[in-house]
Amino acid sequence: MSVTVRPRVNSQNPLSRRSLLRGTGAALALPWLEAMMPKQVSAAENEGQTPGDAPIRMAALFVPNGVHQEMWTPKGVGRDFKLSPTLQPLASLRDQLSVFTNLWNQGSNVGDGHYVKTSGFLTCTTINKSLGIDLNCNGRSMDQVAAEHAAKQTPIPSLELGIDPVTTGVDTNVGYTRVYGSHIAWSGPTSPLARELNPGLVFERLFRAANPKTGSGARDQLLLDRVLGDASELKRSLGASDRQRMDEYLQSVRSIEKRLQSQQLEGVKHWQPLVDLDLADRPSDQRPDQYVEQVRLMLDMIALAFQTDTTRVCTFMFGNAVSGRSFSFLDGVSGGHHDTSHHQNNQDKLRQYQLINLWHIEQYAYLLNKLAGMQERDGSVLDHSMILYGSGLRDGNSHSPHNLPILLAGRGGGRIAAGQHLECSRDTPLANLYASMLNAFGTGATRFADSTEMLPGVLV
Amino acid sequence: MKPRSNLTACAKLNAALLVAAFSSLSATADEPAPLTESAAVEFVRDHCIECHQGEDAESGPDLSLFSTAKDVSNSIDVWNQIATRVGERQMPPQESEQPPAELRSQFVAWIRQTIFAAVCDDGVSPGPPMIRRMNRTEYANTVRDLLGIPINAAHALPVDGAGGEGFDNASETLFISPIYAEKYLQAAQSAIGHALKDPGDRKRIIVADPSEQRSPQQAARMVLDAFLPRAFRRSVSEEESQHYLDLFTQAFDEDGAYSSAIEFTLVAAMVSPKFLFLYEQPGKPGELTPISHYELASRLSYFLWASMPDAELLRLAAEEKLHDEQVLAEQVKRMLRSEIDGGGLRRDSKVRGFATSFVEQWLGTRALGREFKPDPSIATRYDSELEGGMKYEPIFFFEDLLAENRSLLNLIESDFTYVNRRLAQHYGVRGEFREQPKRVELQAAHHRGGLLGMGAVLAVSSLPHRTSPVLRGKWILETMLGTPPPPPPPDVPSLEENAGALKPSSLRKQLEVHRANPVCATCHDAMDPLGFGLENYDVLGGWRTRVGVARIDTVGKLPGGEQFNGPVELKQLLLKRKEQFVRNLTRKVLGFSLARGLTNEDLCVVESIVRKLAAEDYRAQTLMTEIVKSVPFRYKQTHPPTE
Repeated sequence: MSVTVRPRVNSQNPLSRRSLLRGTGAALALPWLEAMMPKQVSAAENEGQTPGDAPIRMAALFVPNGVHQEMWTPKGVGRDFKLSPTLQPLASLRDQLSVFTNLWNQGSNVGDGHYVKTSGFLTCTTINKSLGIDLNCNGRSMDQVAAEHAAKQTPIPSLELGIDPVTTGVDTNVGYTRVYGSHIAWSGPTSPLARELNPGLVFERLFRAANPKTGSGARDQLLLDRVLGDASELKRSLGASDRQRMDEYLQSVRSIEKRLQSQQLEGVKHWQPLVDLDLADRPSDQRPDQYVEQVRLMLDMIALAFQTDTTRVCTFMFGNAVSGRSFSFLDGVSGGHHDTSHHQNNQDKLRQYQLINLWHIEQYAYLLNKLAGMQERDGSVLDHSMILYGSGLRDGNSHSPHNLPILLAGRGGGRIAAGQHLECSRDTPLANLYASMLNAFGTGATRFADSTEMLPGVLV
Repeated sequence: MKPRSNLTACAKLNAALLVAAFSSLSATADEPAPLTESAAVEFVRDHCIECHQGEDAESGPDLSLFSTAKDVSNSIDVWNQIATRVGERQMPPQESEQPPAELRSQFVAWIRQTIFAAVCDDGVSPGPPMIRRMNRTEYANTVRDLLGIPINAAHALPVDGAGGEGFDNASETLFISPIYAEKYLQAAQSAIGHALKDPGDRKRIIVADPSEQRSPQQAARMVLDAFLPRAFRRSVSEEESQHYLDLFTQAFDEDGAYSSAIEFTLVAAMVSPKFLFLYEQPGKPGELTPISHYELASRLSYFLWASMPDAELLRLAAEEKLHDEQVLAEQVKRMLRSEIDGGGLRRDSKVRGFATSFVEQWLGTRALGREFKPDPSIATRYDSELEGGMKYEPIFFFEDLLAENRSLLNLIESDFTYVNRRLAQHYGVRGEFREQPKRVELQAAHHRGGLLGMGAVLAVSSLPHRTSPVLRGKWILETMLGTPPPPPPPDVPSLEENAGALKPSSLRKQLEVHRANPVCATCHDAMDPLGFGLENYDVLGGWRTRVGVARIDTVGKLPGGEQFNGPVELKQLLLKRKEQFVRNLTRKVLGFSLARGLTNEDLCVVESIVRKLAAEDYRAQTLMTEIVKSVPFRYKQTHPPTE
């Protein structure tokens, strides 16, 4: 990719190469030097964004166990659609909303009812059937494609959040490790990304990344050099097949190093959010007991991270696959989530199932309203976001990945034609939507995984 | 090197003996004589392939091409299931013509013999050298033991998933996400910072300060010489020491502050992969190589303590004595120790590290309070002390079996258990109890004993708002016997449609209707009756004889015709399957000890240990010692490079 460099005298004081190397030691990775360029002319911005525009953010919210389908799909298509009962909480956000009908995830149409449909939700691939040894998602999740694209622009490339710890054990009944049911973000075929479950720790991480201790950089770099030295030494002595693990750790250490280096380049941050992280927003160290509060706090963290431009990419899991969480805190609900989703067309179970779906949509609306209320120089954070919501299966009783319940909110910086119900032709790849989202995000992609084209009608 | 070649020869000998043992399988015990190969083929033709052929083999294996023993050894997992399902009379389905009982057992015996011959044919072969990071539990325990302070340094680390035999120490699922290095750095800084605050603790870690006689470098050298071999769990080379001394010097030169520079250096060591990873040096490709004595020390300590080796293990490793079988056996005994204080309570023991990790994951009781929370409407008296009592009962019980070398069959039926105050109330056991679990002798009226009387087990095999005979039956088959039923076929008609106008009022009737469908029946006939045997226990394992006004019916009948009523008779029935139970337990413990999924080669070892256990009254320490002495535990084999 060719980038035209137009040096400007009055740009925000980029560092000289010399001072940079003095500051960080010789371990500097070369591609990083790109960061020395005045950001106004970095690659991303040559692709359609005008300088000073708020950046585009992207999040994906995953819900286990599907939805009560008769209560889900809106009536009418295009701009004149009528929200379904389950989507009612989104009424005031209608203009920001895109509802999709008839998307499916072909790769997850095999294997079992849940695990393939969770790990494959954002990868649009068929994962290996495995209790661990051959664990492989055979792809990469779409959020990570975006994260890689935006990695150098923010202190943290992406946030992976959840509520439930990784489900214990392996499922010998169907032959999958439950690791699969506990992850949607994969940075590579064998690398599911660990999630943060405690809002207090999320905030701490955001804050640390955005506010480095002054003067600690040199010493930290010494330590990282030693650790990297040890890792390289081990890597040499290990057998070929064992080097991958050490590589993963090397990369993990390097990600701290990169951040250190970018912190020393402060002053060249091209886009200044209106708001910095404020310690007053820090949640308590103790995670609240109530599920409702846990979810709300996590959604708050996403909003804060986006507003302060600490990261631009985030995934969140309301629950793990097959989650049996009790929703009896809702009036009229008595059962666990998974058990209720196996409604067997029992009217009472269906009624409870829909109440659970409705509650999830209320939380989605909570996040959207929060983002809509965060003003930037030009519009709100929601105007500059794409917030995906969905489940890996449609109906909990049949576990089918046809016609998935999928929503998108936000205008993606003006790239998304929000405010419509898009009825696609039967079995349109979900990946087509992802390709459009990645394109709107600015990656330049027009395809993702098993996509056949970008989804017509999504982009402006 | 002499000891090495001796060991290798010895391992080969063991393997040869094992093969010999299996080829004489038919001659031993009262097992039926296996069929011949051609008779087995005939059995399949007569009883199986009517359904099991072609792609639509009714969601089961396609057996139409089966013609030799080789077909069995090529798909061992499938044939293990066939053996179980035919042996338990789940197959052929009830409505089909049944083979004569003796022929059936002979067919099963043939499958088992063929599998054993196949897995033991090439001798026992160990897995590759271990390389994995410590998991969250191990990290916490290791930092605690390394620094000698009671903190949980892992609280901010992500939770690990499980692989292999179902444990979170399986190397295949211990991933490293980008977030880890940052977490390890934070954790090490805060743990070291915490440890150095207390003057007594500081003295143990910072063993030397600079003085008039001692330069800062000399002092730092002394600190590192004491710290690094413990942190890296082995002897440390001069070059490695020097690296860390250089790091100290660079930090010290910045501001001349000794304390902060040495603290910084120790943090670096704790973020080094040499600390965070359990790794073993590769051997010669394709050759059986004993792991080094230091590697053995770590395998032992992470197996039995879920933590780092202590001074004694490291000393024995330095003296190259750990591979000695006598020494090994003594160490296992020492490591399993658990003391009881004057008040009859078990003190903190290091073996609890193993008991907790293993039991919680094997039984699935870690889900209590996590994936499983009872519905508040039915669990009005559920509180944290009761939950704690429930969680710790199987852990303390298992620790007792290990430390006191009791029979593993206590897990099926026992005359004692461990309860705290709230659990004692819950069970109706009288006595003096406090918050900590204490051993108690059981009487028949308590309706307890063995795993199936334990609240935690009964809870995690229930739904949040009601008991589920299906889930409890499945739990017994999967967790105790290691024979999980297959998942329901995708086109299974739903319960309600199937029931039609019958409108069954009780769950039992409803499930009976469900089982009237032959597709469902083959598995549910085996699962549901087991679960009904436990219906006297409510969601949290409280004893009940009625639900509302209805008396509970706990009669169950297995496909083979065995009938039982209630938990006591159900446990008798499981005792008849003690070998299957012990085989599954052995498999689980071996998988945990090796921190990986087992391969078919390992099954040969499992079988030899099961035999040894049968000969030694199923003693718990026999199981542990035999595992530690086994080839997969003490050897490694680097795969020759592919291509």
